[in-house]
Order: sequence, then C-alpha cells, then structure tokens
Amino acid sequence: MSTALVKPQNVTRSNRKWIIGYSIAGAFLYFVYQFLLNWEGLPLGIYDAINRWMPPAAVNESLVYVIMALGLNIVVGYAGLLDLGYVAFWAIGGYCAGWFMSEFFYFLKIHFFGAVPAEAPGIHINFWLVLIIGGFVCAFFGALIGAPTLRLKSDYLALVTLGFGEIIPQIFFNGENFFGFNISNGTKGIVQVDPIPVGFKDLGPFDFGWKLLIFLFLAAVMVFISLRLRRGRLGRAWLAIREDELAASMMGVPLMRTKLLSYAVGAFAGGLGGVAFATHVNGVYAERFNFAISIFLLAMVVLGGMGNVWGVILGAFVLSWVNGNGLSAFGALYNERFGTEIDFASFTFLLFGLVLILMMLFRREGLLPESRLKLVLHEGDIDEREASGKKAR
Amino acid sequence: MKYKSAKIAIVAIATAALGLGLVSSAQSAPKTLWISSDLPKQGGSADQSASTNKAIRLLLKQMGNKAGPYTIKFREYDNSTAAKGSWDDAQCAKNAQAHVASRDEVAVMGTYNSGCAKIIVPILNQDPKGPMIMVSNANTNPGLTKNWDPGEPGKYYPTGFRNYWRVVTTDDNQGNAAAAFANSLGVKSVYVLNDRQTYGQGVARAFTAAAKKLGINVLSPGDAGEGWDEKAPNYEALFVKIGALKPEMVYVGGIFDLNGGQLVKDKVKFLGDNTKVKFMMPDGFTGYPDFLALPEAAGAYLSFTGLSIDQFPKGGAAEQFQKAYLKEYKEPPTSSFSVYGAAATQVILDAIARSNGTRKDIFLKMKTVDIPAKKSTVGTRLKFDDNGDILSKDITILIVKDKTETFVKKITIK
Repeated sequence: MSTALVKPQNVTRSNRKWIIGYSIAGAFLYFVYQFLLNWEGLPLGIYDAINRWMPPAAVNESLVYVIMALGLNIVVGYAGLLDLGYVAFWAIGGYCAGWFMSEFFYFLKIHFFGAVPAEAPGIHINFWLVLIIGGFVCAFFGALIGAPTLRLKSDYLALVTLGFGEIIPQIFFNGENFFGFNISNGTKGIVQVDPIPVGFKDLGPFDFGWKLLIFLFLAAVMVFISLRLRRGRLGRAWLAIREDELAASMMGVPLMRTKLLSYAVGAFAGGLGGVAFATHVNGVYAERFNFAISIFLLAMVVLGGMGNVWGVILGAFVLSWVNGNGLSAFGALYNERFGTEIDFASFTFLLFGLVLILMMLFRREGLLPESRLKLVLHEGDIDEREASGKKAR
Repeated sequence: MKYKSAKIAIVAIATAALGLGLVSSAQSAPKTLWISSDLPKQGGSADQSASTNKAIRLLLKQMGNKAGPYTIKFREYDNSTAAKGSWDDAQCAKNAQAHVASRDEVAVMGTYNSGCAKIIVPILNQDPKGPMIMVSNANTNPGLTKNWDPGEPGKYYPTGFRNYWRVVTTDDNQGNAAAAFANSLGVKSVYVLNDRQTYGQGVARAFTAAAKKLGINVLSPGDAGEGWDEKAPNYEALFVKIGALKPEMVYVGGIFDLNGGQLVKDKVKFLGDNTKVKFMMPDGFTGYPDFLALPEAAGAYLSFTGLSIDQFPKGGAAEQFQKAYLKEYKEPPTSSFSVYGAAATQVILDAIARSNGTRKDIFLKMKTVDIPAKKSTVGTRLKFDDNGDILSKDITILIVKDKTETFVKKITIK
C-alpha cells in the first residue's frame, strides 16, 4: 500500500528550476549586504539591526556551514552512513589553505598565480586552485577513511568515523613536531591566509559582497552536485543502500564502490568549505576542529531534513545563526526591554537539546523533509489511519 | 512567488539607487562614543570575562560615563560560542568586522586569548576610518608585538600602523624573570617541560633561552623543553628519565588545566619534594584552588605577569578600586585580569578624552597615554613603548606555603 504512494520523483521532476530561485535569493542577499548596508542614507536603526541580527560576516559563515552540511548530507542523508567525524575534512581543507596560501613554509618560495607580491616567502598558490586541491585531497582522505569502514554497519561504523574525526584533528593539534616536521604550527595555528584574487583585485577584509558571491557559488556547486548525483545512477544506488543494504547488494549495487564514492564526494565538500573558511577567518586554528563541531554539523543535517538539500541548507542557516548571533542578539534585546541580566548565549545547548528532543518526538524527518524519508518514517502512521477507517491522504 | 520576490528586489534596488543620489553624507563628530569589550563569555573563561566586564562598568560609573567632552557607552561582545565551548575563530572574525562596521564604536578592550587577537587586530588595522585601536588586558603571547615567529609581528599590521596595546607583559618576560629568579636561588641545572600550547611553549622557550644565557645547564632537548601529553594517565616514564639526569630544578611552562595535577604529583613522587628538586611554574598555575590544595604543591615557586591582586600598591587608585568593586558587587574580582581590564579601559578613555572623537585621532592620541601609578587601577604606571607593550614590566614571584600563594619577591624587567 505505501509503495503506491511513492511517486517516481527522481525521474519526473525537473531539476533546473532551483537555479532561478537560488539566484534570486543570492541576488537579494548580495543587494542587502553589498549596497543597502553600505548606503550612507540607510537609517541607523536598520543598519544597527542588520549588524546585530545578521551581520555580513555571519551570512558568509553560515554559507560555509551550508557547504559542509551539504557534504555531510551526501554521506549521512543519501548513503545513510552515520559519520561522526566530519570535522576531520574541515581540518584537512583548512590546512590545505594554510599550507598553500600563506607564509607558513617561510623557508620556501613557491608562487603560482598567488595574490601576494612575488618576494613574499612561503607557498602562495591561487585560491581557486587551492580550492580544487583541498577538495581532492579531502576526497582522497574520504576514500581512505571510508575503506576500513566498508564492512561495518550502524553503531560500529559511527564509532570508526568518530575515531578518525578525533585522530586527524589531534595530529594537527600536536603537529608542531610531527616526526621532526612542523606541519601545523600546533595550537598557535597558521595566521594570515592569502586574499582571494578575483581578476582585477584581491579581496580585502571588508569585501563581504565578493566573498558572499564566492561562497554562494561554492554552495551552489554543492547543491548542483547533490541534486544531479541524486538523480543519477550513483544517487539511486546510495538511496538503495540507505534503505536496505542487503537488498541493494542483491540487486547488483556494488557496495564498496558506492560507499567509497559517497565518502569521497562528501569529503570533497569538506575540502571546499575548509579552504573557504580559512579565507573567511584569515587563518587556521587547530582548536576549532573538535568533536562538538562534527555533532553540530550532523545536527544541521538532521534538523533540516536528512537527504533534502533545501532542508539541510535551512538547518545549517538556522543553527549557525542561533549559535553565532541569534540567541545573543535576542538576549540583548530581551535584557534591554525587561531590564534583566540573563545570559542567553549560555542557554544555547539547552535550546539545542530541547529542539532535538521535540524534533524527534514530533517531526523526525526534519524541517523540510525528503519525501521519500518521510514516507519511510511515517509508514506506521498510515497503517494506523487506515486501520481506523480513514483514507490514507 | 519567485517572480514576486524578483519584483520586490528590483523595486528595492531602484529605491536604493534613488536614495543614494539624494542623500549626502553630512557627518559631525558625535557627542556619544561607544567602547566595547571582546571577551569569551562562554566556556571555561566565562566567570573571568563576566568579572572583567563588571570591572569596566564600575570604572565607567566612577568616571560618570565621561571621557573629556564625550559621553561614553559600553557594549559587550562575546567571542566564544556554545558549540565550541571556548573562544571561536569565526566569532572573532565576525566581531572584528562588527567593531569596524559599527558607526559609533571607537575602541575595543580585549581580547582574552592571544589567538583571537591575531584575527581581530589585522582587521581593525585595515579599518578605512581608522586604524581602530585595541587594548588587551590579558594577551601575553609575544608575537603580537615583537619579533617572535617568522613574519611576526609585521603580519598583524598590514597597513604598517601599530594599533594594538596591552597592559600586561609578555610571556617571554615571565620566562626571563623566572630564569633570573632560578639563578638567584643558585640553581645550576634545570629541566624544562611545556604543555605544547601557544602559551606554555612561549614561556618555556623564553625561560630556556634566558637560563642558557645566565649559564644554567638546560638538560631538556629543544628550545622550549619537552612537551608533556595532557592525556597521559601518569608521568612515571617522564620523571624517571628526568631523575636520571639529576636536575636541580624542573621548570614547567604551561597551564594547570592540562593534567597539571597529575604532573605535580608525579614530579614529587619520582624526583622528591620541592625543596630537594626545585619546582617552578608560570601564571598558568596561579589562581587554581585545586593546585594549592595538593600536598605536592608545597614549596613550588610560581611567577605571575603583572601583580597579583594582593600585591597591588596600597593607598592609591588601585586599593580604592578594589574596595569599590567589593562594595558594588559584594564579591572581589575573580583575578587581577579583571582589574587589568579596567586599566586597559582607563588607557582607552585617556586617549578618547584628548581626541577629537574620531577613530583616527584616538589612535594618534594612544601614543601619548601616560597614566601615573597613583591613578592607575593596577597601581603601576600605564605607559607604552613603540611596540605597544607596557613599560612597567613587573613579575611577581610566589611560593606555595600552607596551601596559599605567598609573596616572595617582585622582579622588574628592564
């Protein structure tokens, strides 16, 4: 009975329309942050409100989270492989930027279309190339990490990914003396990453508009990859594995290759996001890459709607906003109005916990659920309704 | 729906373009200026930051919220997030942008963590209306102001202007003072340990260099000694190895939080008590009741950047400020860093009072700040060198006696 409800959505729905909507949303953001906010005539009230509730740097940061969450969504949402160590890819991507776009290797002098004067020491490769390098290095490590987990399922798989998620950041954390080499500068981090060149100029710290466009573009690349792959043979194979691994392998889905590819593609996004984030904060700090961030990314995917690209984007925006600005801005407003001194930001985790509990009780499929997953999760509900004599939808 | 939003966007763009042409930017120096603090308000440093903000508010209240002709208002920024549980690099970048973007803010008091300062300072430095100034109450990493790692400190000041000051001395001075103190005790050989973190390594490195210069035999390898693993269950192997070298002193560069308790216990267990093989650590070990409660801590020497609260000179503004704090909030400041926060604010207000109210002029006036010891909330003269480091470089040496930190001597670095 429930099978009859499943529309063959992957085949019929056109997948191009999103580009229009996405471009409009992007253009709106660009307009607000590039023109409206820089406009001298903007009333101070609105100016302050935007800067308090959603400053330009927060939008860019959220977009980095979107890129990461979309990558994790491929592993967790599409292929159903629970990954608790995704922050490792963020770290690898970040350090790719640190290595190839800074003065970190000050004893070398390698320049390749970098955005710094030719006499600067260190390795300076063009941002766009480093993006690709970061992506592929991460994809390689994704496959490498994926390999030993192929024979594992559910909890055991999650534990192994958790292990990797701990090991790789620890290597960077203690990387000041890695068999005699300094690979990460330890907790001091690598500070000052080269600016992003956009042809006629190099982006300075206040060129939000440009960075916004670049991050929007990178997120769009990930949306495109996600949507296209999902429609294709590989995506359908991922979904098949997610739903029933045994059945999928019986039907001829090559488990090993399919799983490894999901790790590799997911990690690729981690590389893109890692490099983008390094340029966003102008540095790479080992302390960022901890377990809590992996969980935070996973929460974005789960909250938004596992498997649904738009849901994941929403989840990433909402959670990074609450974590970064929303709650403290709300707190400031509340304290101002009611004359209290409540530290709202310190309740972030309480809020996250409550939201997760409520979501699991009432909307397990996420804010914007994937239709397929919704059907699976609500299979029981339909039966009950049918049993009570009501029509199913 | 999509078309609707497109329409709205077009209308909005058109309106904005019209407005852009009509409105001219007429600005005069506002009478009210904002200053801000940028501190980690969540995680382990939360109490410390809250106390610092309180100290700043108290100072402003004492001054009637005035600096020269200007009314001063104060805004708190948080550079930590719940997801990280400590200072957050993304949050630092965001705050830095917010400081610059804010139309009424003229100066920043902060940060607590040197890593965060390394993100914020370059952005404030490139402020088109600035550079915007930042004065820290707690950054002790030397690289922010002097030659330290390759590229430091120049890379934090892209425009070449030095827009950063701090009211505490740097880790290297602490290492130097500790080495001088060890020398005065007659120590001939020392083994140095570090916690592998920025701060611990910095102190250990400075101590090692200074000790070598003074002719003390440094038995540990490397320029910052040997790193200890904070996750180790015990340090038997480490101290048995050290014991074989028979050092007269063990110097620990690091913070107590990183399994320092176990380290202290195992030091005494395998090398003997602290009178036999002397034991010394920097201010990463001060202010921890858990450390002082350890029987093994007895006899250990501690150094402290600046002055500890009970060592602030009596009779001047410093003593008054502490009394006022106690009266206002019914509790003493959590540590001297909060009072240094007030001192940093004093410095900022002094520059503002003499300026024309613009960021650029405040920056220029910072160079001539000179607050005498009697008026300073920390009881030492607040004057800076060209790097932005404070001139009064006081290091306090303490000893753990009867489970309290007891004053031994004050070392002033030249």
